[in-house]
Amino acid sequence: MKPTIALTKGRVEKQFLKFFASLSYDVEPLINKGRKLRVETDDFLFVFAKGVDVTTYVEHGIADLGIVGEDILAEFQPDVYNLFPLPFGECRMALAKEKGKEWPEGKRRIASKYTNITKEYFKQKGESVEIFKLEGSVELAPILGLADGIVDIVETGTTLKENGLVVTDEFMHFSARCIANRSSLKIKRNELAKVIEAFQRGLTVK
Amino acid sequence: MFLPAGSQDEIGQTVDNRSKAYEIFRQVMILRNYKQISTPVVEFADTFTNEYAGMNLQNMLKWFNREGEIEVLRPDWTTAIARALVKQHPSELKWSYQGSVFRRDKDGIESRQAGIEIVHTPVFLGEGESLLTAVQYLKELNIADYLIELGHTGIFDELTAPLQLSDQELDQLREAMHDKRRDVVFTIVNGKASKEQADEITAMVDAFGSFDVIEEYEVKWKDNPRLLEIIKHLKKLATLLTERGVKDVSVDLGRVKNLPYYCGTMFRGYLKETGATCFSGGRYDKLYEQFDESISAVGLAFDVDVLADHLHIEESYERICIIAEEASHAYAEELRHTFTNAIVDIQYTDKDKEKFDRVFKVIKENDEYKVVEQ
Repeated sequence: MKPTIALTKGRVEKQFLKFFASLSYDVEPLINKGRKLRVETDDFLFVFAKGVDVTTYVEHGIADLGIVGEDILAEFQPDVYNLFPLPFGECRMALAKEKGKEWPEGKRRIASKYTNITKEYFKQKGESVEIFKLEGSVELAPILGLADGIVDIVETGTTLKENGLVVTDEFMHFSARCIANRSSLKIKRNELAKVIEAFQRGLTVK
Repeated sequence: MFLPAGSQDEIGQTVDNRSKAYEIFRQVMILRNYKQISTPVVEFADTFTNEYAGMNLQNMLKWFNREGEIEVLRPDWTTAIARALVKQHPSELKWSYQGSVFRRDKDGIESRQAGIEIVHTPVFLGEGESLLTAVQYLKELNIADYLIELGHTGIFDELTAPLQLSDQELDQLREAMHDKRRDVVFTIVNGKASKEQADEITAMVDAFGSFDVIEEYEVKWKDNPRLLEIIKHLKKLATLLTERGVKDVSVDLGRVKNLPYYCGTMFRGYLKETGATCFSGGRYDKLYEQFDESISAVGLAFDVDVLADHLHIEESYERICIIAEEASHAYAEELRHTFTNAIVDIQYTDKDKEKFDRVFKVIKENDEYKVVEQ
């Protein structure tokens, strides 16, 4: 049975395919997959899912390997082998607030998709905050008055800037990572070794 | 009426398989001279959260009793049995148990286990007996396609001893090793030691495999007496298993303990078909230090839910239905006992007769009951 790789849809997918092609793998069926969420190549079965679902599929052994952003791993802490970083998907976690506005004197209100990371960040600082969980467009929260600031991932900072926000602290640096199911790595060691070695060669080349 | 998340009703084959797995386990235990032990399902939280046991209270099902103490549903057998065994006479060496554990960090709140604990026994004898008990039990369950993996807590301890890491750094490094997160392992060690030492410890992330890995590290560690002793010990256990017909034995030299009480060899069994962990365990002499006892202790626990899911029980009984009525029920019951080694059911109608191999009907003739096959 071919190893199964779960791949995060969207930007990570595009960057991974470029990286995968640079390792001399045929990515043609993956590029021209249309709306298919499951694509079989000569060597692997690929499944395409949202980042957090990639970790779920890998944790439960549906997929042997996964390609996922480290922000997802830090937030959800899945029980998987978190093998190594990949040379793409770089971003950082930042605390931001509205430009020109001061933080309130009392308890700060923070909006984020990453409530666990936010909670841990302020815990490390010894500060109690109110955290609001949002699913997207977190930049809106300070503008509309839901929160005093946000914790979110930042790549270029353009979205923050365009919405009138400024970064006040950067505290985690992320990239995409290769994860593995804990049993698969042992049981399918020989089948997975080749692709894992190829990924690592790709890192060295970088 | 609804059930809480993680709880479920179970019927039919699932329950049959689990009962069968427990039955076979008990039979194997009797024949291998284990004595049964059971501990209460409700315990004080401190039994499991103290510094020796080191379990996380957040993952337990807990409440305050009337005295304000925290009580929990048993989250782990080994710790509970250690508490119970310190009161037992040391001449009793081999113990077996079966029952549920309750934790929030696993799929489903309740999971069923069966396991063994061996105390006051020489190291190799205890560990060998644990592993060979696992081999026999899996054989009795007709499970042949599995992998047994060995590890040892002493490898991490020996390699990190010269680094003089703080407790926090040591925990971070152990966590990174547990996740095989090579970049973090390298970064932590490289900040405290030479690049060569960082490379050596990072290499442990990939040091898993079969006898080839054992032989490679026998050579690499030839000048370190402690590591050489460990690798030779693991080789002896692996050889014992292969001599007993286990096809797939491997080591993971980078495996670290996930509970503070492990202190030596660690075991894990995987079912190759699904990748599920079917047993795990190891040496935990340290657990007894909380009772000021110096005891050799080793054991393992089987995940009965995983094993039961994997069981394929062939039902070989003939299914017989006896159709009777209230007045002839006693006669039908008498008749039931004439069919030995068959599943026999008494019903008052024949509407389910398709579910049976043979159907008999009790009829009355001349004031006497007789039976007619349909």
